[in-house]
Amino acid sequence: MEQKKVESNAGNWKEYTRVLLPPVRDLHRLDVYEKQGGYSALRSVLKGDKWDPKSVGDAVKSSGLRGRGGAAFNAGLKWSFMPPVDERPRYLCCNGDESEPGTFKDRQLMEYNPHLVFEGILIAAYSMSITTTFIYVRGEYADWIKHMEGELKKAYDKGFVGKNIMGTDFSTDIVIHKGAGAYICGEETSLMESLEGKRAYPRSKPPFPAAYGVFGMPTTINNVETLACVPLIIDRGADWFAGIGAKTHAGPLLYGISGHVNRPGVYEYPSGMLMTDLIYDVCKGMRGGKKLKAVVPGGSSTPVLRADMIEGVCMDSDSLRAVGSMLGTGGMLVMDEDTDMVKWLRRVSHFYHHESCGQCTPCREGTGWLEDLVGKIDDGEGNLRDLDILIDLCYQMEGRTVCALADAAAWPVRYTIDRFRSEFEAKCRASHVATGDLQIA
Amino acid sequence: MPKVTIDNKVYEFEGRPKLLQFCMEHGIEIPYFCYHSAMSVPANCRQCLVKVGNPQVDRATREPVLDDDGNPVIQYFPKLQTSCSMDMTDGLVVHTHRTDELVARAQRDNLEFLLANHPLDCPICDQAGNCPLQNQAYKYGPEGSRFEFDKVHKPKKIELGPRVMLDGERCINCTRCVRFTSEISKSNQLTIIERGVKNYPLTPPGVVFDEPYSMNVIDICPVGALTSKDFRFRARAWEMSKTPSIVTGTSRGSNCYYWVKDNEVMRITARTNVEVNGYWLADVDRLNYRKFNDARPLGPDMVSEGARVSTDWDGAYERAATLLRGVSGDEVLFIGSAHASVEDNYLLMKLADHVGASAPVYIPHVEAGSGDDWLVTDDKAENAQGCERLGMHPVDETVVRARLDSGAIKLVYVMDEDPVASGLFTADQLKSVDVVLHYYNTTNETFPVANVSLPAATIVETIGTFVNDQGHAQRVRPVKAIQSMNRSLMMETGLSRQDRHATPFDKWSKAENKVNCQPGWVTIPEIASRLNLDLNYKSPKAIMAEIESSNPAFSGATYDAMGLTGARLAEVGTTV
Ligand SMILES: Cc1cc2nc3c(=O)[nH]c(=O)nc-3n(C[C@H](O)[C@H](O)[C@H](O)COP(=O)(O)O)c2cc1C
Ligand code: SF4
Ligand code: SF4
Ligand code: FES
Repeated sequence: MEQKKVESNAGNWKEYTRVLLPPVRDLHRLDVYEKQGGYSALRSVLKGDKWDPKSVGDAVKSSGLRGRGGAAFNAGLKWSFMPPVDERPRYLCCNGDESEPGTFKDRQLMEYNPHLVFEGILIAAYSMSITTTFIYVRGEYADWIKHMEGELKKAYDKGFVGKNIMGTDFSTDIVIHKGAGAYICGEETSLMESLEGKRAYPRSKPPFPAAYGVFGMPTTINNVETLACVPLIIDRGADWFAGIGAKTHAGPLLYGISGHVNRPGVYEYPSGMLMTDLIYDVCKGMRGGKKLKAVVPGGSSTPVLRADMIEGVCMDSDSLRAVGSMLGTGGMLVMDEDTDMVKWLRRVSHFYHHESCGQCTPCREGTGWLEDLVGKIDDGEGNLRDLDILIDLCYQMEGRTVCALADAAAWPVRYTIDRFRSEFEAKCRASHVATGDLQIA
Repeated sequence: MPKVTIDNKVYEFEGRPKLLQFCMEHGIEIPYFCYHSAMSVPANCRQCLVKVGNPQVDRATREPVLDDDGNPVIQYFPKLQTSCSMDMTDGLVVHTHRTDELVARAQRDNLEFLLANHPLDCPICDQAGNCPLQNQAYKYGPEGSRFEFDKVHKPKKIELGPRVMLDGERCINCTRCVRFTSEISKSNQLTIIERGVKNYPLTPPGVVFDEPYSMNVIDICPVGALTSKDFRFRARAWEMSKTPSIVTGTSRGSNCYYWVKDNEVMRITARTNVEVNGYWLADVDRLNYRKFNDARPLGPDMVSEGARVSTDWDGAYERAATLLRGVSGDEVLFIGSAHASVEDNYLLMKLADHVGASAPVYIPHVEAGSGDDWLVTDDKAENAQGCERLGMHPVDETVVRARLDSGAIKLVYVMDEDPVASGLFTADQLKSVDVVLHYYNTTNETFPVANVSLPAATIVETIGTFVNDQGHAQRVRPVKAIQSMNRSLMMETGLSRQDRHATPFDKWSKAENKVNCQPGWVTIPEIASRLNLDLNYKSPKAIMAEIESSNPAFSGATYDAMGLTGARLAEVGTTV
């Protein structure tokens, strides 16, 4: 079949120079980071005459930086929701809970470029007059927590964090908080409850964190990668950033690619890469020369795409929305022709069932029911009516819960059935109750 | 004033109420579970979903956009909203299940989920018949269930504390109980454990759910997950009548329901009165009901030729009158009661005045330091304020003991009290005088030395007024029937019972468990009439009307004004 050549939104990606994870040895060390020009963005913000809190926020807004935690919300716009400064403390949360299956890119930043994250936090803190920033890292990342704590201490010792940073009258603190180990702790308000020492139940919104965040104080929350982009925007300018990759989703992006490719891993490229370029070029194609069957573009909750749906599709939110999926966290799961999609869905449904916090009814009851039904079909005991019930249950869960986990649980079910229906039907037909009637022995 | 349109009807509102609260107050039913007016709004049950929108406004002209028919175009929220957490704003347009099929479906769907793992053991559940989940499932739920898998199993029969049991499987995770302990009682003795569908509330390790208000969680649990150790499995909801009244053993007069089966009080639950007890009751106030059932007298009796013999009411009245006739006024000590109603004490005052005795005193029941800053008061009697407002005073122990010992007192007339148990006199001291006693229970320690004893109707068998420690005057109603019903009691009982003529489940009109006692407003006029004093009022209501109009300390305390939630009286100089 003749393939129409589609331009990648990432432009000439082969010429791209990495900025989030540059190939510099020992960059995680403060001295190396500084030698590479690190903390110069912070210095110019605090000591130069070019910047004030508002202009920093404006630059981030106009750079087009969108949140890398999944929802792709404009970061500068989010910052601007913070209320005017008053006597109350103000908090920033850096979301390093990274728990969505298929997502492992924040870990790379924490390991290889922690000072970029700190610097981004400090600039954000300056822009929003933050008192304290909490870096919430999932407990399983114990090694990286220790690693970052060591580096943070060095930054404190150097006077880059804490009281009177770089001799100015700006003071702000950074606290690294070890998560207690649940996927739901990555949801923003749940993370805040968890920080407060409470059970990680997401809060009903409104009020949103800017009005009522950690300990009820004005709070902003951003993903690790989002904040890591901030020093780059200050250093090289909002226009430079806006010029990278997809127009409506600008900037460098960490693609975490896993599954049946020859070279899985985390790759930094401009946003808007062609999915096919990522799979066949960057990751050197499918393992064992197998045929591609399906791709989940951005973490297990984003709707799965069939191989025939990804031709010419770019990795940015608008392009993916157009084909019926989402960018999510940019964690791509690639599956080859041998993959049993029912089994894959069973595993994913098991995850969301296991991770539902259980606070609200549709998610608490629905996630388990979904897993039961998918498991029934996978076990060859299902019938066609079960597929209808599955789609019905998705409808009953979507958009009716406190947080988006219920949607995250329903979408894989809805779209995997929708896009691989024949596989599900095949398992149903093989079943001994394929008629859908109750059989009485 | 800002307006809201609910199901095509326009309402005005003030402030920024929550939509569900507003609907509740305006008789618009929306099914819900987790919301409670006194607690934070987690919006976790997702039952109260409604469709909400705002009129579209033209950006340029700021005028509402109209459709072809001239009706305002409504921009609905993309998702259904939980009405419990929805702040009302001017112009809001709301559709409930009554006017929107999607809302009705969402509510049905949610109930299907709620019931999926619910054990559906209504046939053995204490909550059945009085269960929000059951009621709403019948009203708004699906016909059947499509759930065909093993239900989640969780621990059952968990003893959370000395008074509260948990069935983890019945729990629908509304977190009301947890929020009660964190926000209302502040004991923090409950939390949710486990995750997801395995969730249920439990005490943290090493903690016992023994706070003095623990049983409130039973009231607010929307299912039968939390049950009372004292009450569980003793009666079904539909076997009992439920009568609004006030509790005993505290001067706060907390509002409650008495649940009665076959004229036995089975349990006491909280009744909302924001001015008095909010939504809550202290555990002690719920568990002291057995005194209404147990050790009740069989009838009046008196001492005749050295022996105690039972008598009929006329015989008892006559004996009491004879004893009063036999002494001069200053030889009688009248003891009124802070357990008795304003009306009964008032009549006793009139009787004392008629025979020339000084005003009745009352025995205080203050246990200093035993109260808290909430509903448990130091004063364990219900009506000391009422006595004070009538002009009665606490007994001066030294004075009356000296008078008794010196022989100046020849007759002690006791209404609804126990001077021996309260330590005013010893039984021996009273042996040298005559004693007339109105009493509730045969455990009364003055009873053995009484010359004539008249079983008195308790607070659950009478009509009357009680004034709490804050000056809140409240009426009580007959909760159970006594043997001899009079017209006033009949009228009030009829009104307070759901089943006016008894049912096969609750045979309240049968003789069983009816006590042969009489209210003070029957016995005292009977005795008075034998002493040529006419105290015959049409009803206790008429007595109170007289008190209200003649004594400014009771101004405003008519039966009609007191209604179900009482009337706040003006402060007077006296405090107890
Ligand atoms: C169930 C759930 C889990 C989430 N987990 C994460 C996570 O692990 N890391 C993260 O950055 N964002 C996570 N998010 C998204 C956050 O709620 C939030 O949108 C994000 O941290 C905001 O940062 P950003 O605007 O920089 O993307 C999660 C959201 C949901 C609903
Ligand atoms: S949607 Fe699921 S995870 Fe989110 S609050 Fe509700 S029960 Fe918890
Ligand atoms: S035990 Fe009852 S009150 Fe407590 S969370 Fe469960 S359903 Fe709600
Ligand atoms: S009452 Fe609104 S979500 Fe429970």
